[in-house]
Amino acid sequence: MNQTEILNIWKAYDKKLDETLLLNKVLTTEVIKLKTKSLLSSMKPIKVFTIFIGLLWVFVVGTIVGNLFLYAYSSVTLFFLISAGIQILLTSIALVIYLYQLHLIQQVDITEPLVKTQKRLTSLKSSTLWVSRILFLQLPLWTTFYLSESMFRSGNMFYILINGTVTILFTFLAVWLFINIRFENRDKKWFKLIFEGKEWTPVMKAMELNHQIENFEKE
Amino acid sequence: MKPEDQFIQVLENNKGILYKVANAYCKDTEDRKDLVQEIVYQLWKSFDNYNAHYKHSTWIYRIALNVAISFYRKAHVRKGYTDTLTESILEFSDTGFGEETEQQLILLQQFIAELKEMDKALMLLYLEEKSHKEIADIIGISESNVGTKINRIKTVLTQKFSTIKNQF
Repeated sequence: MNQTEILNIWKAYDKKLDETLLLNKVLTTEVIKLKTKSLLSSMKPIKVFTIFIGLLWVFVVGTIVGNLFLYAYSSVTLFFLISAGIQILLTSIALVIYLYQLHLIQQVDITEPLVKTQKRLTSLKSSTLWVSRILFLQLPLWTTFYLSESMFRSGNMFYILINGTVTILFTFLAVWLFINIRFENRDKKWFKLIFEGKEWTPVMKAMELNHQIENFEKE
Repeated sequence: MKPEDQFIQVLENNKGILYKVANAYCKDTEDRKDLVQEIVYQLWKSFDNYNAHYKHSTWIYRIALNVAISFYRKAHVRKGYTDTLTESILEFSDTGFGEETEQQLILLQQFIAELKEMDKALMLLYLEEKSHKEIADIIGISESNVGTKINRIKTVLTQKFSTIKNQF
């Protein structure tokens, strides 16, 4: 079968659609009057809410830690101050990613060419992985914030050794995950284990599409 | 004429595009119905800003394909979206082609269904016999890139049909 014959099949299909397809005008009028949650407007409130909560967290915890550092330095441990400080810093970075996502949502225009619009939409979804990477970086902090200098002076060496080993392991794991959570590793078992579940499916599909668009742009 | 009536007139003249895009991107009938409604809603939202520099069909293709490709991302929102709308925007007064055309069309649609999202868009526009310029405008790649990709698609398409023909 040659190209002309194939195009003729499509023409026949097109003609048949023209003759038999009916537009339900009543329903169309109903749809355009509906105030529905559309593709992007449904994403916006969640992002704004997350940013609000995040800012509140950074402000409250930041103020507490800042005040402890300035006015009660001697009554809190350096481990707590450093751990809490890094946690606030990482949350702030995650907030920047959410702000970037909000900016992308504002920029998406569904009337623009496919490549441009889909790139923005897929970047928006794939940037969610960055939040996971940042969150994993917090892992070792949960093993250090309760430590104190006195524990080292008079504490149980065995306990300190175990805690130190766990901190080193968590640090290694956090850095390893930060480096390795990326699209190229999507087929690895560990990756699938972390990002299993329905909520991650659109992110994975968005990344695949992103990859597809990159190849599509090449001649 | 009211904007709503103008919009419905534009849809009426281009209803085939909505059906073809939805059919290419959605296998499930219910999903397809929802997708058509989402496309119609997005078209209406952009109707005020329609740029007369482009043909209506170009504008509709851009939005319809963008919505179709993005559709999977809002699967969870979609459920319940059309609860109150049980009917379909597009209906058939009659169905069925000649038997041979029907079989060949099914094969062609199967082939389209197997393509990746962006190739699917390109294939639809090629079958619609859009110019390279119009395809480039809709997809957002250069005209020469459109040409290269279409040649590739043509070869694969011809091979596919020849293989199937040889099997029977």
